[in-house]
Amino acid sequence: MENLVVHNGVLKSKEELELHYQPVKDSFWTQIKKHHVFYIMLFPCLLFFLIFSYWPMGGLVLAFKEYGFQTGIFGGDWVGLQYFQQFFSDPRSTIYINNTIIVSFLKLFIAMPFPIILALMFNEVQNNKLRGTFQSISYLPYFISWVVVVGLMNRLLAPDTGLINQMIAAFGGDGSTFFMMEEGLFYPLVFISYIWKGIGWDSIIYYAAIVAIAPALYEAAAIDGAGKLRQIWHVTLPGIAATIIILFILSLGDILSSGFDQIYLMQNPGNADVSETIDTYIVRTGLQGGQFGYATAIGLMQGVAGLILTIIVNRITSKKFGSSLW
Amino acid sequence: MSNSMAGSKWMRVLNITLIVSLSLMIILPFMHVLAISLNSGIDAQRGGITFWPREWSIENYIEVFKQENLMNGLFISVFRTVVGTVVGVGLMAMAAYALTIKTLPGRKFITFFVFFTMLFSGGTVPYYLVLNELNLTNTIWVYIVPTLYSVIHILLLRTSFSQLPFSVIEAARIDGCSEFKIFRSIVLPMSKPVLATISLFTAVGHWNDWYAGTFFVRDPMLKPLATLLQEMLTRQAALSDILLRSSGSLAYEQLDKVTVTGESLQMATIIVVMIPMVLVYPFIQKYFVKGITVGSIKE
Repeated sequence: MENLVVHNGVLKSKEELELHYQPVKDSFWTQIKKHHVFYIMLFPCLLFFLIFSYWPMGGLVLAFKEYGFQTGIFGGDWVGLQYFQQFFSDPRSTIYINNTIIVSFLKLFIAMPFPIILALMFNEVQNNKLRGTFQSISYLPYFISWVVVVGLMNRLLAPDTGLINQMIAAFGGDGSTFFMMEEGLFYPLVFISYIWKGIGWDSIIYYAAIVAIAPALYEAAAIDGAGKLRQIWHVTLPGIAATIIILFILSLGDILSSGFDQIYLMQNPGNADVSETIDTYIVRTGLQGGQFGYATAIGLMQGVAGLILTIIVNRITSKKFGSSLW
Repeated sequence: MSNSMAGSKWMRVLNITLIVSLSLMIILPFMHVLAISLNSGIDAQRGGITFWPREWSIENYIEVFKQENLMNGLFISVFRTVVGTVVGVGLMAMAAYALTIKTLPGRKFITFFVFFTMLFSGGTVPYYLVLNELNLTNTIWVYIVPTLYSVIHILLLRTSFSQLPFSVIEAARIDGCSEFKIFRSIVLPMSKPVLATISLFTAVGHWNDWYAGTFFVRDPMLKPLATLLQEMLTRQAALSDILLRSSGSLAYEQLDKVTVTGESLQMATIIVVMIPMVLVYPFIQKYFVKGITVGSIKE
């Protein structure tokens, strides 16, 4: 509905603009001259993306070249597919790919229902002020850096002095577990902290979709004798199904990236085997290890796979749901 | 909006209980950290502090403000946040406004040129090497220049600008106002909510960013607060590991002695990192909900 208003507004403005600029009579160059001030406004923007996005894209040739400090990005010798072979012949690569997919599976699939449920719960709070307060609290962690979040976790989960261990000790337990160092707890902790940080913020968009559902639908369902849960099942969920599906499909493009900050900051010697993902491996070999060509090659594979996934997914959304990214 | 049936009472109670629990799970960790940071460091070593300080003390904060590198980091963080946000939002708004002009030749191409960078990028290493070739690494400008524009923020601004009443802009144009004047004295003042939202996002991004400071900068005097906090965490993990290796088993008592006073300092640093956020948040949060739900990438 909102789109339609926007659309109308745009259409109207276009007509008026065309009246003013009389585009039909002007030649291409006259048009450009008339708009020169807008090109001035856009110039720094274009320069920025040329330098900081397209130049590095050109730098992807490093995946097939030897990097030398004298020769720079483009000057080295060609090495063919050497780096790709190196990556796939290393048995640890499979582990890194697995770890990455586990983390993104947790975030995309298992975590998905939580913000939806929270939005449904917010919708049931009748007092506007109370709901607003709870919502504000729930958004807060989204604005906190992962550095702080992992710092909080280290403290809460520390052996002996940490809050959780003290509670365990108070109930007669051991109380000396080093939770952050436990390999088996890495994924659960990644999952819980991910939900903790994002659930409130992610619920905003679902909440907006729920509020947009026509009250008449609920009234009709109520007249038909539907209780609260049945109303949620038969009215609310179908009402936000499109939002859920589109957001979910769009997030599939990220399946090969695990979220660098959280994973990198939660890594420690105790969980090294399960916590190395493609993102952190690229930083470790490239930025920290100086194997520029090798890390670029891995980044290239990740980037291309992500691009292909996004394109496929966009095809599906535009065909099935009439909504697409571009 | 109100769709409340006479939903059974216990469900409402359960619902509120769950929401309150979630709110507590969010607030209590911060309370815990605040309590430790306001407690004397040596007393905190005994453990047992929950959500209220046992021995009140501001020594940890005094210590934070005495640490030269932390104060320097605070300055770097404030500098990059203020300069990066003001310049960045100004430039993004200008570009977004130009992209709302329907008759602009090449508008579609420019939009795609910008948008495509969201779908594909050169990746971590080529990006770093470009920063290197521009001599941006190891300077304060590496925090500001490469973060001036964000695709998603440009698109949000563009959507918002294209919904402004066109007649006002057109009237100014007919009166002979220059496009820059229209932008500055009509478009910007009429777009305060979206500008506040984008400014908040940009400022938070700057304030929270530790990555650039860790990987693009070597000079310790150029590291922002977030990076210094990250280095504290890393040192602590390394220390635990050394103790683990040297003693064969985790020597917790030893570990505690070495780290706990550092721990209190770390907690105070966490609070100092969070304070600006907590102060600004209530004033700006009424805007951002609208800001993010309104923006769609397509027009």
